[in-house]
Amino acid sequence: MRHTKLALAVLTAAVLTACGGGTSPKGGDQTNRIAFTNQVSFGDSLSDVGTYAVGAVKAAGGGKFTINGDNTAKNVDLTGKNWLEFMAPQLNLPAPCAAQTGLQGDAARGFSVPIVTYANCYNYAQGGARVINPIGPGNAQAGSPIGETTVPLVTQIANHLAKVNGKFTGTELVTVVAGGGDILFQLGSLTQVGTTAGAQAFGTALATRLAAGATNPQTAAQAIGLAIATENARPGKTDQSVVQAAVGAAARQPGNQAVAQPAVYGPIVAAAQADGTAAGNSAVAAFATANATRLVTEMGTAGAQLAGLVKSEVLAKGAKYVIVGNLPDVASTPAAKTRPAAIQQLVAAMITAFNTQLKNGLGADDPRVLYTDLYTVSNDQVKNPAPYGLTNTSTPACGPNALGTTSLICTSSNTVAGDVSRYMFADETHPTPFEYDLIARYVLKDMAIKGWL
Amino acid sequence: MKVRFNSMIKVLGVAAALAFAQGASAQSAGQLTAKFGVNQITPKVESGDISAPALPGTKADVGRDKQPVLIFAYGLTDNISVEGALGTPYKHKLYGAGAIEGTGLLGTAQALPVIAFLQYRFFEPTATFRPFVGIGATYAYFMKERGSARMTAITNPGSGVPTTFSIDSKFTYTAQVGVAMNLSEKWFADVTVNKTRLRTDVNFSTGQTQFMKLDPVSVVLAVGYKF
Repeated sequence: MRHTKLALAVLTAAVLTACGGGTSPKGGDQTNRIAFTNQVSFGDSLSDVGTYAVGAVKAAGGGKFTINGDNTAKNVDLTGKNWLEFMAPQLNLPAPCAAQTGLQGDAARGFSVPIVTYANCYNYAQGGARVINPIGPGNAQAGSPIGETTVPLVTQIANHLAKVNGKFTGTELVTVVAGGGDILFQLGSLTQVGTTAGAQAFGTALATRLAAGATNPQTAAQAIGLAIATENARPGKTDQSVVQAAVGAAARQPGNQAVAQPAVYGPIVAAAQADGTAAGNSAVAAFATANATRLVTEMGTAGAQLAGLVKSEVLAKGAKYVIVGNLPDVASTPAAKTRPAAIQQLVAAMITAFNTQLKNGLGADDPRVLYTDLYTVSNDQVKNPAPYGLTNTSTPACGPNALGTTSLICTSSNTVAGDVSRYMFADETHPTPFEYDLIARYVLKDMAIKGWL
Repeated sequence: MKVRFNSMIKVLGVAAALAFAQGASAQSAGQLTAKFGVNQITPKVESGDISAPALPGTKADVGRDKQPVLIFAYGLTDNISVEGALGTPYKHKLYGAGAIEGTGLLGTAQALPVIAFLQYRFFEPTATFRPFVGIGATYAYFMKERGSARMTAITNPGSGVPTTFSIDSKFTYTAQVGVAMNLSEKWFADVTVNKTRLRTDVNFSTGQTQFMKLDPVSVVLAVGYKF
């Protein structure tokens, strides 16, 4: 009988244990293994949290290279956040802010805003920034009206060291992601070659073809060519206005009135455009072939230089937690995918050169360095989007805006039609906030494996 | 596994030594027995992938746990008995696996398996060794699921909302084999191996789900008394 009582007591205890309060799911301990004191970031547009969020860019609701603005009320994934803005709060750190703001572009368009530095902001990343070269894509000296400052990483790091008396504390999380500015600059030069050659070929073909019906085709072609050149030189000209000028001039030539009919000039213009496109493509291909070795070598050098900076200016200056992300797969972005296969291969070779040199330069595993393979994950996302939750990995979410197609002033009000919240790309190269969220998760996963989380 | 098996043999050996020369009876019709012991539950995990959005191949592993148990059995006949157990919940640790291998401890959960067995015991009640087999109706109850900073980091970073998860409790069945050794007229020792079929779903607060085949094996070492 005594045994039975004991058994009942144990039974009661067990039931009480089982039914005691707090059986429902909870978040559990949200403390990180390492309490970082700060998030210090060097990089390009992928890490920029608002260097250019001033003047007309700010007025347009832009400033980051993604779909700007908190539109979570519309869709939870439209956070307007960059990956570092997902990282910081997860590490219990304040939202990152740009260490420098300002623009050096066209004052008439609101792109000339004095440069201001912020002592308590530690995100030095700037859209267009390259590793060493101060002139990146978007810089006024590269012909951009926006006038991005594109302060290169070498200077970004020097600026930080100047701010903190030359030493990292060793408790900050440092992020370094670059190479994007370098490769986009090179891609830009390819585009320029193609555009120039294409426009030239188009003009010549248009003049020749429109002049064919005139009494004296040679004189007519000269007159049409002059009209095209004049219109091309006029600010505010469009492809349409160039065609109009050419057709107008053609119709004034003796014996050539019929060409003013849309049914007549339409096919002529289309044929000339095809000529222009073909000429542009072949010019790009020729340029790429002629310069492939140089372009790949330059990217490789940039990768090696970045590794050198990390070692001599970050690690040697006391940083103990440094995340180095390699260059994502730019060859899988719409910017590259819309180009001929030869160019895509060249871009791929440039990325490989950069990443190989970066990794080799960093050398053997260092407990202070977390090398995160953004290339592989971005490459896989494009090929295998479903598990990532991505709904589109080929079309930019942002539609045309006042600056063309850049996501710098893309907001949820100028995206393309439909639900773009889980698109991979905001513009031709930059991620949407959802993709930035995925990048943050990937990096945090690596941090957990490294024992930093 | 080998170590555990060896220690099991040692326990039985000690029990045998204690039992020498004593006349033994065993569970017989109408007899209640109670045994106290240790149960180690080892899930044999085959994890599904966490559903989108996630890194493809994001899996989980579940650690084992050991808890004391109090098990009652009642003899319906000399060979057929029913058995039920009481115990404290099993605390299982969940680790990142697959594509997130190495991320470490992501969460914990407690499991309280409730099993009612119908057993068949071989040989006479007086035999020194009585092997037995059983089949049990099982309810696997999961509770107190707790996430972590790491779980939040890889599912919903920076939102300030910790990720939680719940594991679906399941009705299922358990197969049992064991052997009891009579130490004296009243005392016995036994070892039991239970294999439960258990497939369940994990539901995350982020809306993600994950299929888990747990199919746990439990090994019970116990010493009992016949009333």
